[in-house]
Amino acid sequence: MTSERFRAFSFVDRITRCSDRHIEGQYTVPASASRFPASLMAEAVGQLAAWAAMAELDFAWRPVAGIAAETRYHRIAEPGQTLTLEADLARCDADAVAYSGRALIDGVCALELVDCVGPMLPMGEFDAPDAMRADFAMLCAAGAEAGRFTGVPAPRLVPIERDAGRRLRARLQVPGRDEVAYFADHFPRRPVFPGTLLLDAMAALSAEVAREAMPGQDGSALMPSRVSNVKIRSFTTPGTALELEIELLAVEGERAQLKLAARNDGKTIATGRIEMVPAAKLPR
Amino acid sequence: MSEQAISQQEIDAVFPKVAQIIADALGCEIDDVKPKVPLIEGLDAESIDFLDLVFRLERGFGVKIPRGKIVEDARGPLPEAEFENKGIVTDAGLARLREFLNEVPAERIKTPLKAADIPRLFTPETFCKVVIRAQRTAQATA
Repeated sequence: MTSERFRAFSFVDRITRCSDRHIEGQYTVPASASRFPASLMAEAVGQLAAWAAMAELDFAWRPVAGIAAETRYHRIAEPGQTLTLEADLARCDADAVAYSGRALIDGVCALELVDCVGPMLPMGEFDAPDAMRADFAMLCAAGAEAGRFTGVPAPRLVPIERDAGRRLRARLQVPGRDEVAYFADHFPRRPVFPGTLLLDAMAALSAEVAREAMPGQDGSALMPSRVSNVKIRSFTTPGTALELEIELLAVEGERAQLKLAARNDGKTIATGRIEMVPAAKLPR
Repeated sequence: MSEQAISQQEIDAVFPKVAQIIADALGCEIDDVKPKVPLIEGLDAESIDFLDLVFRLERGFGVKIPRGKIVEDARGPLPEAEFENKGIVTDAGLARLREFLNEVPAERIKTPLKAADIPRLFTPETFCKVVIRAQRTAQATA
């Protein structure tokens, strides 16, 4: 499965500029991708910022998971579309990288990431520093081969307790290491369940609660418009069963605000808030 | 490092905003953020919360709090070798900590204290003092 390294969960195809803590790049969602959840647009911006941070620290450290104060979604990328990515590092040292960034589709802002913090961990625990250095050089030159990503499976969720329109508790079965390709890329030496896929699962549950809470809805898809105060507190390894809890906080017109929590064996490992709106009402 | 003592009045002035920022970062009720509650044992904070907190305080107060600054300031003029020995804070180090973290009850600063466990002593008041020191540094260099 090591051949999936730099393929199965890598969302920067090319770096077009990297200087003075500002980085720009691009990513094309493969037309053949089976599924590209909205949260992977945030993953792409985060990975771009991570490249800038890792390069600045000569690939001795890498950011893993962390904090996202606010993510705003304006439109959702579809297979075949190209995202133009940008990020600005506010701070970067061996403790943490702090950054903000955005993704554009056809010159229009599709996603904004505001005040993110990634704690730095020794690179060698996750991947080979030399291989990362070589990948960075390639991204900055000709770019990577396009079409590497094939998709991610939909989250495996089983409801545990439902108070319709108010609260939903469900079990998320994280795939085993050999069941999905992305663990070989995230990360080659230490598989970690990506925080953005955890958020994708929480968004799916949030859509259920929001739909029940807004009975006037005609059934059109509900999408996250704003995800805030996200904090990933610890790593989730392959094969873990997480308990997710979604709680409705408020409904204002066609917007629902919900609180998110994920627990592993009773310990809270991730928290955040999400706003769900009908896809057609995403704030442009 | 000699520094002008931080008065209770200065702490009281920044406490409400620091408490709100702590409540936001930890996702707890602001009423639970008492000045002397230990953040780790009392409010279930973890290392990622300290990172989050420092960035939020920087944004909220418009100051810079360099990484590792709190422990570095805590050590003060003591060289690292005199402050800790094989990861355990020395008697001289403990004396320095009792002075620097005077908001922490002295009986909590006792041997054997691992240097890595110093953040376990931190309270909301510790962070009020961090903000006040950062504000003083900003004024001094303005």
